[in-house]
Parts: sequence; C-alpha cells; structure tokens
Amino acid sequence: MQNQGQLNGGPAGPDQPAPVIETCVLTKRYPGTVTALDDLTVTVAPGITGLVGANGAGKSTLIKILLGLIQPTSGRASVLGQDCQRDSEQIRALTGYMPEHDCLPPDVTATEFVTHLGRISGLPATAAKERAAESLRHVGLYEERYRQIGTYSTGMKQRVKLAQALVGDPRLLLLDEPTVGLDPAGRNSMLELISRIGAEFGISIVVASHLLGEIERICDHLVAIDSGRLLRADTMTSMTVASQVLMIEVDEGADQLLAELTRRGLEPRPYERALLVRLDGDDTYDAVRDAVADLNLPLNRLEQQRRHVEELFRDDPGAAGAAPGQPETGSEPVEASHVG
Amino acid sequence: MSADAATAGVIHDIGYQRYTGQRLGRAGIIRALYWHSLRSAFGIGRGAKAKIIPVLTFVVICLPAVANAVAVARGSSRIVPYDTYTFQLRVVVMIIYIAAQAPELVSRDLRSHVLPLYFCRPLRRLDYPLAKLAAFITACLIMIEVPLLILYLGTIAQSHGGSAIWQQTRALVPGLLVGLMWAVLLAAIGLVLASLSGRRAYATGAIAIFFFLTWILAGILISVNTRNVVHAVRVAPGAGGGAGPGPGQIGPPVVVTQVPTNAAHLSGLASPFTILDGVRQWLGGTSPSPLPGVGSYGALYGVALLVLLAASIGGLAIRYRKAGVA
Repeated sequence: MQNQGQLNGGPAGPDQPAPVIETCVLTKRYPGTVTALDDLTVTVAPGITGLVGANGAGKSTLIKILLGLIQPTSGRASVLGQDCQRDSEQIRALTGYMPEHDCLPPDVTATEFVTHLGRISGLPATAAKERAAESLRHVGLYEERYRQIGTYSTGMKQRVKLAQALVGDPRLLLLDEPTVGLDPAGRNSMLELISRIGAEFGISIVVASHLLGEIERICDHLVAIDSGRLLRADTMTSMTVASQVLMIEVDEGADQLLAELTRRGLEPRPYERALLVRLDGDDTYDAVRDAVADLNLPLNRLEQQRRHVEELFRDDPGAAGAAPGQPETGSEPVEASHVG
Repeated sequence: MSADAATAGVIHDIGYQRYTGQRLGRAGIIRALYWHSLRSAFGIGRGAKAKIIPVLTFVVICLPAVANAVAVARGSSRIVPYDTYTFQLRVVVMIIYIAAQAPELVSRDLRSHVLPLYFCRPLRRLDYPLAKLAAFITACLIMIEVPLLILYLGTIAQSHGGSAIWQQTRALVPGLLVGLMWAVLLAAIGLVLASLSGRRAYATGAIAIFFFLTWILAGILISVNTRNVVHAVRVAPGAGGGAGPGPGQIGPPVVVTQVPTNAAHLSGLASPFTILDGVRQWLGGTSPSPLPGVGSYGALYGVALLVLLAASIGGLAIRYRKAGVA
C-alpha cells in the first residue's frame, strides 16, 4: 500500500488514509419504478477495490454518479474528497474511466486516439503525445499502436480502453468490466496489468465486475452490491478465507461422485452440471482426486471456480448484511444427498 | 506480454512516471477539441480519401473568383458580386460540403460510442457541441469567405489608386458579413441534422435531402407565385427581363414581365438559402438572386433566420444533454 500517502492530496491523518470514495445513503431512481441504487453507504479505501454485483446491480450507475455524469436522486457521494455534484469537473480531471462497452473508433490509430483523449484530459499537445505513447507501452501495445484500432483483437481493444483512462495520469481509475469479452488468457493478462497499475503506479483502482472469482485475486478490498444495496464491504482476506470453492465436472457418474465425496466428508453440492466442494487446502484436491480415481470416472474439469457474487453470500452464512431471504447454507448438502 | 516486456528491456524499466507538467483548464480543452474538429472538417490528419470532397468543393467554389481575376487582368471590370458571389454555385457546393463533412465531425463519435470518453473528462456537457459548432462554423467560413478574398485581391490587383481600392473594400465588407450569416446558419443546421444519426450515410443523406428539397421547394413556390404580365410592344429594345415572342406564337411581338406577387415574396421562407438571401436583400443587398425581392416582409426573413438558428443550436444542445450517458 505504498500509494496511500500520495492519494490524500492534502494534509490528511497519517494513520487513516483518506478514503478514495465515500457515498452516503446514495439513491438513484430512474423514471418509472427502477431503483438502480438504494440507500448505498460505502467507503472505499486506497488500493484496488473490487465492485461486484450481478448485471443490473447498480455498478455502472454508481460509477456514473461518481463521475458526475448523472445526478443521484438523493444522498451524497464524494471522490478524492470532492463532492460528486458540485466538483465533478475536478473529479473528472483526477479520474480515469474505462467504460464497459465498446467505445473506440475503428479508423484511427491507437496513438492518434489516445493522444487526442490526452488533450481532452487537459494535457498540452507535446505532453499528450508523450503520455499516449507511454500509456500504450504500459498496457503492452508497442508497434501495434500505429495500426488502426479496427484491426485489433478484443484484448488489444481493451488495452487501448485502459490506456486512454491512464493517459491523463489519474489518481483513481474506474474500470467497468475490464475483462468482458476476453478469453481466459486475455483475462489473466488484463488482471495482471490492473494489479500492476495498482501496485506499481500508485493509482487507486475500482474494478466493477460480475465475476467475483475473477477479480478477488487482484483486489485489496471488496464491495458487493445487489439491487442497488450494499451487501458487504470488507477487505479481501476477511471475505475469502472460508469461501474458496473447487469445481469438479465429470462427463458421467456425477451422482456416484456426489455420494463418494459426501462419504469422504466434503459436503459437495451440485451446481449446474458440476459439483462444488469447499476448498480447505491440498487435502481437498487429494480427496477429490482419489474419489474420482476410485470410481474410475472421466474427469472433465477441476478448477477453482469463478464464482458469481451471489454465491459469496450463500457460501458464507456469516456475511454481515447478507440478504435475509437467502436459504440456510447448511441445508444444501442435505438436499443434495436426497438427490444422491 | 512478458516476452515483449523482456525484449523491450531497458525501455520498460523506466516504470511509471507521474505527470507533473501543466494542465489545461476547461477553456484549453475546448480549444483543443475545436482545433481537432476544424482539422477533421477538411480531412486533415486523416487519410487521403477524407480530403477528396473538402478539397474538391473548395477548388470549385474558388473558380469564379479565379475567373474574375483573369477577366480583370484582361481589362474587364469585376464580374462577380461580393454579396451573392455566384448564388447557385455556392448553394450547391455548400450542400455537398456540409453533407459530406458535418457527419465527419459528429456522427463518427456517435457511431463508435466515443462520447462517454469525452464526458468523463473535465468538460461540461455542452462544451462538446459548442466546440464542434464553433469548428464547423469556422470551416464553413473558410469555404465561403476565402473565395471572396480571392475575388477582392484579384480585383484590386488591377485597381489603380486608393479610391478604387477603397471602393472595392467597401463592397467587400457586406459580402463578408453575408458570408458570416451563411456560415453560422448552415453549420448549425448541418450539425444538428448530422447529430441525429451515427450512421454517416444516413446523416449525409438527411442533410443533402433537407437542403436540396427545401431549395427546390422554394424555387417552385417562387416561380408559381410569380405572375407573368404580357405586354404587347411596338418597340422593345431590352425591356426589363422579358422574353421575346413565344414559340409558335402568332400576332404582334410581346414582352413578358415577371411580377412577383406577395406570395412570391414569402416563398423564400421555405429554404435556408433563400431565407439568408431575404435577409441580405432586407439589409440592402442589391445584387440579383433567385429570390425576387422580399417586398415588405424583410423583417420576417430576419425573424425566420433567428428562429431557424435558435432551433438548430437548441436542437444540438438537447441532443448532447443526454447523449453518451446511457
């Protein structure tokens, strides 16, 4: 957390780093009955923060309010100590934003595009050119940057989107689903890149994603929202200790495997076509391997699962503020054994 | 990318550098966007293909001024008026130019959804259309005023004495002001129409259709509302604007005088070009044009100009107040 001191931008308390983002009973209702954010109160510390929630949970709405692009119905929000409604220009000068959707013109080169947006970020012409070249280099685009963006792969386009967010040397990056549309390798390198920007560049980052398992690897903190309400905000470690999950998929004999794993005390539960067991270290892997080998089943997949956010709260009954309607976790293996 | 990073070696080790230099304020950013847009209005900074129409239309609209320079050099007096230039040619060239280039300024950004990237930067919502409008007005000014300046220079090059030059200058200034009026109104209409669609072809089509149809409509209205008064003549050497005996007509020779009715005076309101010309005539412009006078409706043309301009700029503002957020 070497970056905390730089983020304050003023005389803040030496012990408690100034929060990067603060919202206070923030509510956004769209005309009609859609409530995108519902009394959201949350504080985001410097570092890399995952903002997780299912699609439509209000992640993008929150980001747009933070940037001052839309006004909240009620409540307050501040970014880097500046009020989102009053000082949105200053906030936007200090913040880089990577939208979820495609936002690149196909018929210009990455260099031209990022340079132009650097100028719109307030950089003089020469500085914009230099920083565009640097940002593109930082995201891993070298000679390709002189090619038209239309010829790029999805992964390269995502990098250009990240580079344009970086070009103005922001204090805070807001990344909306940065891995969307990428293959596993592309996702990994994008996450690595984000992690490096957060750790080495000293820039605080908020990563919005609907895939918890994906961003938990790179986050220091996690903010989970659902239907516009805060589910949980905590440091990553306190959230994941008890929530590592292993996913096992066999081509056939899933029922047998379920029974066998239950016998070995692993409390498996079916999930779509696969089984999930709680991962308690290498022992779990060994037990699964032995069970599959003993039954002589064709193992299709064995991986730490990329969980969706709602599972975080199903797996972890102790979660503060978890939605009350969730079924008791303990009952699930019981149901599962009925099936078996 | 680690392999690339390894080969890049030394360069990569520089690490991330904070930017500590100067940062431009909002005004500086608007100026940057203005320049960028003005350049793209002439295809500068883009491929060769993007320059074809701007260059071609510019050359064509300058031709009368060049022809004038040649004629004046051969001893003729100035053959092209400053206040209307060559009306029909200017209309056609400006329609083509605006239909081709206004979408270049706004439709591309809409098409590729770039707007959120502008609005997440330290700009206010209306700064974007403001910079685009200012840039396109400047571009249209260049298209309209540069030929006038060539016309002026070509003429005074052969003028002798200060008073001759002064006379030309005095005639030029109203022409430049008319040009300014044209540039502002046409640019505003062109941009608001272009901003309706992210598809270039649609935007170009909408602009061309709007300008051509209203132009043709105004022409038709003017001609149907112009009464032909037939005079029998005995001696008619060059009686004003008339025609000779009609084909196959039997009888004494006649002269047909075209007398615009009140309706003809109002017909010019049907098209932006004739509205602009109506205002020119109202303000004292005397060169002949397709609009046969404004009668007593001059002020109405002035109001029409302002209403059309306000509607275009207002439309542009409304278009961008919400765009790019969703």
